[in-house]
Amino acid sequence: MDEPTKKRITIDPITRLEGHGKVDIFLDDKGEVERAYFQIPELRGFEVFSLGRPAEDMPQITSRICGVCPTAHHMAATKALDHLYHVEPTRPARLIRELVYNAFMLEDHALHVYVLGGPDFIVGPEAPPEMRNVIGVIGKVGAEIGLRVISTRRRVRELISHLGGKVIHPVLGLPGGVAKGLKKDEVAGFRQLAVDGLDFARFTLQVFKDIVLANPEYVALITSDAYTHKTYYMGLVDDENRPNFYDGHIRVVDPNGKEFARFREEDYTDHIAEQVEPWSYVKFCYLKKVGWKGFKGGIDDGVYSVAPLARLNVASRMATPIAQEAFEEYEATLGPRPVHHTLANHWARVIEMIYAAERMVEILDDPDVASDDLRNIPTATPDRGVGVVEAPRGTLFHHFETNPNGILTKVNLIVATQNNSARMAMSVEAAAKALIHGGIVSDGILNKVEMAFRAYDPCHACATHSLPGQMPLIVRVLERNGEIKQEFRR
Amino acid sequence: MSEGGPPVLAPTKLLLALGNDLLGDDGIGPLIARVVAAQVGPEVEVVESGEAGLALLELLIGYEGAVIVDAIQTAEHPVGTVLVFGRDDFRRVVGPSAHYAGLPEVFDLAERLNLSMPRDLWVVAVEVANPFDFAETPCAEVRAAIPAAAARVRELLGE
Repeated sequence: MDEPTKKRITIDPITRLEGHGKVDIFLDDKGEVERAYFQIPELRGFEVFSLGRPAEDMPQITSRICGVCPTAHHMAATKALDHLYHVEPTRPARLIRELVYNAFMLEDHALHVYVLGGPDFIVGPEAPPEMRNVIGVIGKVGAEIGLRVISTRRRVRELISHLGGKVIHPVLGLPGGVAKGLKKDEVAGFRQLAVDGLDFARFTLQVFKDIVLANPEYVALITSDAYTHKTYYMGLVDDENRPNFYDGHIRVVDPNGKEFARFREEDYTDHIAEQVEPWSYVKFCYLKKVGWKGFKGGIDDGVYSVAPLARLNVASRMATPIAQEAFEEYEATLGPRPVHHTLANHWARVIEMIYAAERMVEILDDPDVASDDLRNIPTATPDRGVGVVEAPRGTLFHHFETNPNGILTKVNLIVATQNNSARMAMSVEAAAKALIHGGIVSDGILNKVEMAFRAYDPCHACATHSLPGQMPLIVRVLERNGEIKQEFRR
Repeated sequence: MSEGGPPVLAPTKLLLALGNDLLGDDGIGPLIARVVAAQVGPEVEVVESGEAGLALLELLIGYEGAVIVDAIQTAEHPVGTVLVFGRDDFRRVVGPSAHYAGLPEVFDLAERLNLSMPRDLWVVAVEVANPFDFAETPCAEVRAAIPAAAARVRELLGE
């Protein structure tokens, strides 16, 4: 029997994401999608690079892995050093760390809403490609709002720079504390910044409501099967199961919303395992106690998700009042939780912007934020340390082991995109199968496939710079013998 | 200018080094900038960044002139070649992007928002071989380009 003719569509590299990735879509002889693969490169050589170095260098080294979330790596590594050196940060130091961290979450989420993911909705998934970018967003929402986005991000980043030295390479965290605190006369100015940030986040929620939720087509898209998977969810929560970006217990709920696990970061290897697939360099994380069933989803498959949607799915409620109001509206519209709609990540992200800004205000109202009690000096012998934070893109683990002199003998990082990699692969395949029929592949259809993973805000490997600072999109349709039938460039 | 005292001069020119100094050849931009930083006056602010897109816009606002130093992979020049681009080169070569805020989009956005961007902007780029693997120094061919690239940067800054 002749082998059926197969076509292959390649989206490479994935655009508008940081780093590089590729989507391969294989069509059968009827032009239906047989399989779709989402491929992301792995960090290359980082562990080898780190071994033999002093562990205390890790907050600086790991913050350079990625030009997108340096603060997340810096903070996870700092927390891993606390654990490694068996020292607790002072309360004021913890407040400073959490303040900087929430500032980072606010500005990073704003970037995604308006620049990376937002164009799909604010401009529209079927809009001409030349308009589906930040320029199109400004065209739609107006120059005044564009200026507000830029000025708010700039001011929030000034706070991070003030305490952390540099946004891109922060030098704030030390085991047991921080290198710099706030002076009493600096608090009022930063509090105003946080209040303005909150105002901006609430305004962003209104933009989302006016443009996305008021459009029945968009709501139908968000809730469609093409973008829905029933999986487990993971995120950091406080003692009352409210999301906290900086610290807490890792909570996992099953596809029905029932608590499946609740653990501390040092026990992560009891809960998370990694699966290698022949077609991808990335290792797919899954829940060890459920098992790997091969991208099936559901309660018997250990695939889980992290990031804003997951964080809201593991939460009992939000920890701040305005975010809670927004959360209730979200739940009333998309609930009952867990919400399984991948594109709901965008809405959840806006709710998290509100929480981040409110939490900044709370911290700046705490008298301890201007204390000079910034560090407990570690005295114990280092051995093993694990640190965790919620990065904008999801749960981030740093695991270091050292000899008694603090020299690294083991380094393991699980970044958010790894946690999400299995569900992202499922999302791309589901969207491709639902949207591509009869071999018809338009620009708008391909963009909707890309939307399936863009909602996760995946961050691939590292922020490598290559001029002209823009990644071309190449889409190829190939016969199985490799002959190119069609080629798109956009 | 303040009255009754010496003038307080804010930097009017920006030297922006893009790249990750832990990613081998990708770190060439910061290395060039560190050489130049020791040779220029206070009117030049030197900034290192691993960012792109909107963050570039934020960094460029308010300067009269700017030079960006970075790694480039055209695969059309020998590794270590120093290339210089003007603002018009990028407009011509790249055009509007569907998905990503690169340098042309940054300027387009700035114009639409009526933001003050550098009138003079140049990009000095060194052709590189491997900007993807962790390494603390660029390869020898790329490092050999530092003196020539630094000289071009100084010249473009008018120093």
